[in-house]
Amino acid sequence: MGANEKFAAIRKGLLEFAILKIVSSDKVYVADMLQRLADTDFATQEGTLYPLLSRMRREGLLDYEWRESDAGPPRKYYRLTAAGRAQLGELNDYWKYVNTTLNQLGR
Amino acid sequence: MQKVVGINLNGRAYHVEEPGYDALVAYLDRAGTRLSDSPDRAEVLADLEQAIAEKCDRLLGPHKTVVAGGEIDRILAEMGPVDAGDGETAAGAADADAKTAARDGAGPAKRLYQIREGAMISGVCAGFAAYLNVDVTIVRIVFVLLAILTKGAALFFYGVLMFVIPYAQTSEERAAASGRPFTAQELIEQAKRNYADFRTNPKWKRHWRRQQIEWQRRFRNATAPHGWNAGASYASQIWVSATAPFFGLINAALALALVFALYSLTTTRAVFGVPLPADVPLWAGFVIVFGLYQLIATPFITAHRAAANPGTPGIFVWVSPVTNIVWLAAIGYSMWYGYHHVPAVHDAIDTVIATLRHTAAEMQER
Repeated sequence: MGANEKFAAIRKGLLEFAILKIVSSDKVYVADMLQRLADTDFATQEGTLYPLLSRMRREGLLDYEWRESDAGPPRKYYRLTAAGRAQLGELNDYWKYVNTTLNQLGR
Repeated sequence: MQKVVGINLNGRAYHVEEPGYDALVAYLDRAGTRLSDSPDRAEVLADLEQAIAEKCDRLLGPHKTVVAGGEIDRILAEMGPVDAGDGETAAGAADADAKTAARDGAGPAKRLYQIREGAMISGVCAGFAAYLNVDVTIVRIVFVLLAILTKGAALFFYGVLMFVIPYAQTSEERAAASGRPFTAQELIEQAKRNYADFRTNPKWKRHWRRQQIEWQRRFRNATAPHGWNAGASYASQIWVSATAPFFGLINAALALALVFALYSLTTTRAVFGVPLPADVPLWAGFVIVFGLYQLIATPFITAHRAAANPGTPGIFVWVSPVTNIVWLAAIGYSMWYGYHHVPAVHDAIDTVIATLRHTAAEMQER
């Protein structure tokens, strides 16, 4: 198994974290999310993103509102709920903790 | 030039080339299957449709109103395989069937399928036979009895089952045909899906076309004699080998008579000396001759086919010769009756005999 394949699981696990971060900054549309992720290691596709967003909404982390668009039908714009914001805070803390642990283990 | 299909993506109409349409249907079907366990299934499918629609919008303009097949392929590649989440990778979720099979736990997997192999109509009986682990002939007899007792309601039921029960298409499914239980929930899901297929016309048409091709294939198999029925009982095999040449000969004679009748109808407007009435057009004469040929020859052809067809269950091999003997007796009696009581028939038969003698004499002279 190559390094890249091993990290795929990590990236996958962190995708939710990445989305929480993106959504925390502003109300965003899926195409914008994909755009933001496209240049990163978390680049993903609609086929993955939509099921994930639906699940996160069901878990109460995200919410969306319909907004009219100039071209075509109204679009879903996602934003964080209070629970989502709380979870993002927890994730941030946990990420720092994991980082510290890994750094300490390396010594 | 490509055929174009009109589709509705989340409430908006698009025109897509047929291969692209097929790819779309396959993609959304797969997505639906992978999301079958997800409570968000409907929502995600609507989201996906809208995303596809927006990608189509980007390609279309005032001078381009149709999305090409290749463009759909590119759009679907961009969308990526649908990942049901729940900690699985897209590849891991690839086979939803395998997943449900694993979930249903150990023990022999058993579920109800329609089975094409050895099917007479659509494979419902064959599927039940595999599921109940009994001989398909028994299921068929029970079904025919039910059809008679219920005055045909069972036939309607069969038609419904044709839509409801999925086909065993892969070898795993065929194995499972005598395995996993078929739950009521799945039955309803399947019915809904098939009904949706029925409503989106092109797909239903394709299903129908596939059904027809299947019937044609089976008809060809049934009409081409290839060896004896290995599954039939010893006695019926003997009966078959004794009667098949006999029926074959009769068929050949009838076919010759048809050719001769058509030839004499075109050249002399008469068949075996019986002239076509002046007010009957020639084409009607052809129809009458063909009709009579069908009437007389069909039982013999069926009998010959039954004798030579290895797919026919043993009982039919027995039944059709019996009906044939009755048929033969009926024709013989009506010919005898006509010969003695109806002058026209008397003359016609005499003419046939005379013609045959004449032809035989001519052939001898050569």
